[in-house]
Amino acid sequence: MNPVLPSEATEFAATAAKAFAALGGVDAARRAEEEPTRRSAEVVAALAAIGAEDLDPRDNPDSLAAAAALCEAAGAVALPFPLAGTLLRDSHQRPFAVVPEGIWRVDHGHLFPHWRVTSLTGVHAIAASDATPLGSRLGPFVTDLHALAGSTDDPGEPGGAPHPDLATHLTLTAWHILGTTGRAVELAVEHVLGRVQFGKPIAAFQSVQFQLADCSVAVAGLRELACFTLWRLTAAPEDALTDALALRMHAIDVARTVLRTTQQLHGAAGVCDEYDICVLIRLVQPALRLPWGAERTTAALAEAIARHGFEGLFPHGPAPR
Amino acid sequence: MDFDLGEQAATLRTRLRALIADAIPEDYLGAFTNDPNDLEVAQQFCQRLAQEGLLTIAWPTHYGGGGGSMWDQTVVREEMWAHHEPRGAQYMGLNWVGPAIMAYGTEAQKQQHLSAIAAGAVIWCQGFSEPDAGSDLASLTTRANADGDGYRISGQKIWTSYAGMAQWCVLAARVGSGERHEGITMFLLPMDSPGITVRPIRSMLGYHHLNEVFFDDVAVGPDAVLGGVGEGWAVIRRALAHERVGIARYARCERLLSALGAALAPHWDDLPASLRVQWAKALVQVRVARLLAYRTVHAQATGEVPDVLASSARIAVTQCDQAVAEVLCQAVEERALDAGPTAPLYGAIEDHWRYAQAATVASGTIEVQRMIVAKALLGPRA
Repeated sequence: MNPVLPSEATEFAATAAKAFAALGGVDAARRAEEEPTRRSAEVVAALAAIGAEDLDPRDNPDSLAAAAALCEAAGAVALPFPLAGTLLRDSHQRPFAVVPEGIWRVDHGHLFPHWRVTSLTGVHAIAASDATPLGSRLGPFVTDLHALAGSTDDPGEPGGAPHPDLATHLTLTAWHILGTTGRAVELAVEHVLGRVQFGKPIAAFQSVQFQLADCSVAVAGLRELACFTLWRLTAAPEDALTDALALRMHAIDVARTVLRTTQQLHGAAGVCDEYDICVLIRLVQPALRLPWGAERTTAALAEAIARHGFEGLFPHGPAPR
Repeated sequence: MDFDLGEQAATLRTRLRALIADAIPEDYLGAFTNDPNDLEVAQQFCQRLAQEGLLTIAWPTHYGGGGGSMWDQTVVREEMWAHHEPRGAQYMGLNWVGPAIMAYGTEAQKQQHLSAIAAGAVIWCQGFSEPDAGSDLASLTTRANADGDGYRISGQKIWTSYAGMAQWCVLAARVGSGERHEGITMFLLPMDSPGITVRPIRSMLGYHHLNEVFFDDVAVGPDAVLGGVGEGWAVIRRALAHERVGIARYARCERLLSALGAALAPHWDDLPASLRVQWAKALVQVRVARLLAYRTVHAQATGEVPDVLASSARIAVTQCDQAVAEVLCQAVEERALDAGPTAPLYGAIEDHWRYAQAATVASGTIEVQRMIVAKALLGPRA
């Protein structure tokens, strides 16, 4: 029993964090919003410099752990790049995305001409990206894809087996969300220690302390679940989708609470782009809402547990008849 | 990274479940019910565990233990709590009184107490809280006044679990005129000492759980001091770190969530979809609580004193306990009010809800845990 992420993964993430800091941290995301054409090259170069291009989370558990830690580091700065998808690219360099049943909507979709996409129902496709991003405040880089005519790749079938990369993509996206929530707590700690009201740092107020403590516990719990899920993807691949759905559901739940609380603790500054917390909260929204938000994720989890059970100290699964 | 507790732990879990299935009635809800036979079941079970070398499996062998790992101990905690703690009140002696005596006791204290705890023959209670010293334990006012070589203890303790059935008490009292942590001293004293009065407090938790204990000029010898005069705070800190992860509340939550399907069959599909979703969410919450507890145990096993981890785990585990209690009650609807053998799961759901209400207070309130976590986050500037 060892619940700690391998030191190689932690060290790789520290290297990545330095590289992302050299890009300006969250400023890279701000620049991407202002100059959409510039960001891809600078992020790709930074990732190449740390060796991320050679990383394939499907290779072995260590690579998976390193990929997860990399996604966490990316989430901490809202790195303007579809990292989870590109880590799961195929031999044709096409990134992978999980998409809603309706509109095939993918964050940063316009950065690559073709994507491999899948839905929860087992339908796979090659999708083309020739639309412009939404440009909205909550989804500036979100792009709608469409089916590529004439593709000969396996299309899967409704109700068929889930795509082999589906659970890994959900898991890596949850690690990105973990990175954002962890950084949000750090930013809130810095802010409440520096912000003086009523003659003292607002960190001195117990209500502030308790809110931060709850956020810290929530992020700590999410981190443990994220590590556990990584291990399960390899140790029990037959349960991968159920475990990944559980992690995604919990990540969304934690993010909703932690991001709301940490933004509130920033006061009015929390809604200003000048402050990193605001940019982080805006730009993590696609990860929280695509391919599905909290309720649909939870419903999918409940169905998966009913069909396949859930790991634990006692058996859970289909109700006895 | 590996979350498998290992073959040894799996074998131990199987063995414990077999023992429980053999010795503990299916409708058992713990030692502290209205039925005095339930206490007798627990006492006999402890002796059987002792005979099989399982009661103190994680103690060092030179103290009569099995030399098992902290993970063995974790499995025991989980299986016991999941099955309504059939060790009764003895878990306190096993989980932290014994280890505290190992760490701080004199050779004579070890000789006297450790073998008795290991034999499953003694119940301990813990005299910490006072009417005016709950979360703020360092303000305790029970006094131990020097009297010749020994001391005379006077004061009042409250919320003392199992005081009415305990043979021994580990008591925090103040020696000298110090304030806060200064002078706090731990004493080991027999509960039949002249001058001790126990008064039960009626509560929603059930018989024997909560008591007031009055100490009226109780005489103890110098050999009753555990860990040195004025050194009690270190003992308490160690004890509370053990206690915060000592109760595997998540294990009972998970067992009841697992059993719910059978309790409701064939009406499971009649539950509102929203409730089945809540059930799934509860399973994930239980998993997270278990993993946070495991993180704390891992830190302890590697020699850390994981105060913040222990407090984080405790916040998650106790909130999980209450959330699961509510999901269970919602699932059985009007029958959540039933107690006794005809109630859903023999009354375990009703019992769990009542007991969960105290989870965020017992062994240090959730507010104290939040203060510990916040202090670590914010440092001295806050």
